[in-house]
Amino acid sequence: MADSGRGTILQFAPFQSSVDEGFWHKLSSLKLNKLRLDDSPIPITGFYAPCSHPQLSNHLTLLAESLPDESGEESSSLPASQGNRNRCPVPGILLNTNTLESFYALDKQSLLKAEANKIWDDIYSGKVEEDTSVLLRFLVISFADLKKWSFHYWFAFPALVLDPPATLVNLKPASQCFTSEEAEFLSRACNEWRSMSSTADIPFFLVSVGSDSIVTIRHLREWETCQTNVQKVLFGFYDPCHLPSNPGWPLRNYLAYIYLRWGLGKIHFFCYRENRGFADLGLSLVGEAEISLSPGWRNHQNMPNAVGWELNRGKKVSRCISLAKTMDPTRLAVSAA
Amino acid sequence: MVLSQKIHEAFKGTVERITSPRTVSAFKEKGVLSINEFIIAGDNLVSKCPTWSWESGEPSKRKSYLPADKQFLITRNVPCLRRAASVEEEYEAAGGEVLLDNEENDGWLATHGKPKERKSDEDDNLPSMETLEISKRNTIQSISSYFGGEEEEDIPDMGEYNEPDNLIETDPATLQTAYLVAHEPDDDNILRTRTYDISITYDKYYQTPRVWLTGYDESRMLLQPELVLEDVSQDHARKTVTVEDHPHLPGKHASVHPCRHGAVMKKIIDVLMSRGVEPEVDKYLFLFLKFMASVIPTIEYDYTMDFDLGSSSN
Repeated sequence: MADSGRGTILQFAPFQSSVDEGFWHKLSSLKLNKLRLDDSPIPITGFYAPCSHPQLSNHLTLLAESLPDESGEESSSLPASQGNRNRCPVPGILLNTNTLESFYALDKQSLLKAEANKIWDDIYSGKVEEDTSVLLRFLVISFADLKKWSFHYWFAFPALVLDPPATLVNLKPASQCFTSEEAEFLSRACNEWRSMSSTADIPFFLVSVGSDSIVTIRHLREWETCQTNVQKVLFGFYDPCHLPSNPGWPLRNYLAYIYLRWGLGKIHFFCYRENRGFADLGLSLVGEAEISLSPGWRNHQNMPNAVGWELNRGKKVSRCISLAKTMDPTRLAVSAA
Repeated sequence: MVLSQKIHEAFKGTVERITSPRTVSAFKEKGVLSINEFIIAGDNLVSKCPTWSWESGEPSKRKSYLPADKQFLITRNVPCLRRAASVEEEYEAAGGEVLLDNEENDGWLATHGKPKERKSDEDDNLPSMETLEISKRNTIQSISSYFGGEEEEDIPDMGEYNEPDNLIETDPATLQTAYLVAHEPDDDNILRTRTYDISITYDKYYQTPRVWLTGYDESRMLLQPELVLEDVSQDHARKTVTVEDHPHLPGKHASVHPCRHGAVMKKIIDVLMSRGVEPEVDKYLFLFLKFMASVIPTIEYDYTMDFDLGSSSN
């Protein structure tokens, strides 16, 4: 692992999904009371956080709050739930079909491509700088069988495919890449960023290390201004992945963004990970990736390929959850007797 | 749910509706918390252990006596590497704990640093004060011998439906990992383990915090609450741990029944005070979570205490 990666293809650990029971309860009531047979796409919000355990990756989670309110308002989240460090919001789309047949008949390739296209456009329009989470746009297709209280679903985390793929020059635990002074400043800066409600849920950021070892974390939009008087700049992101050998999925579109926006072929990145809620530089990674694409790639018209449908236990199949036990009124009546 | 439990729930619900919430502190006298103290202790937990956060839950279930944005505390995606039931078997086989003091059948245990269970008929379970001064808990090592028989056919799914696939994805930059339900990192270092969402609510009737468990299997699919009982110390499973409606979330969840919480917390506080430590109410949840660890010994939630539990009075 570690720094033996010179010249190899940079591989990303796929994002994993997790759906809270509350999401399905709310979807059911939304479907019955408001959507009915309307199967147009619903904007939803997923939540994720950096990895916080050395042996376990974090997920992109859907909660009841992920769905819009029945009253028709965009989001039910209270002001106080913004800036929740354990719930960084990510925009997504839910396509809920009316039959199982139409669920299976969905053209998954073009759906994925359409979402990837939005990411591509956001990179060109500069929207990424305003709201970095658009790099993580995701898609869920589902069929809610409200007669049997079972839910079929499939997640996609669209990733723009670099062709040829990025190569990995080196990858090391962050603790080995800084002087002890820098490491101390870096940890402190990260913990500060994560504890301020205005920045806690911003998953992409810049790490600038000054010649005086002082480390500052900045917004992506400050890229140009943070070039002066610095020793190096790293592209940081909240990494949900825990593996010491690979960065997580968010780095994929991030690299594409950095290459397209700033034309950098050599990128120093920082996979930010935590242990028990605090910056852990032994778990976090610092790496260097090289991108060598033909000049034609940097053309808004040439939308690259996209991948990202989630595997279910290693297979290309959808998932299904049955909630009859908690939703079926007859079963509830029996268990209450 | 058994009938007696139902009746009790109805009774408790009525009492909760007609009594006003506790406003006077009885933290040291009874081991209970007022609502304000619950908020203070919760705020402190969130700031010291940031994997915990406050949430508002379902709007229709919101309790008016709690702030809308601080209805309950939750920590998600907490690993549970092995079943508590198997740990106890292994532990007893290895000789079990040593009773240090057995006055009033209330003894302290030397535990060889392992997760422990007190042999007692009582429902409460008092952790050893010696282990309260933990700095970092040992990472629990998985016991490979146990996991031979576990299978993954628990989910009623359409998984085997063979897709007439319009999904063709081959991509050299996607990390391919063989899917194995293993409990220790394999060669590919991917650990497949059960995980838990743990929430803490305020129980107005007992005036104590109450812990709820939502379990997920190795592929992050919801675990039936009955299977959650495998991760509860066997002294507590089906006795103090029950499966009930969550006060702020939909669905049935396993919960540690709070009927003895006040009494146990009172004992813990008494022990601290007898040592000249004046417990502070904002540390309540750390003590409480330490106590909960005896009920759910293998779920690795965060209650790290690297600071004083209270002010020393001498």
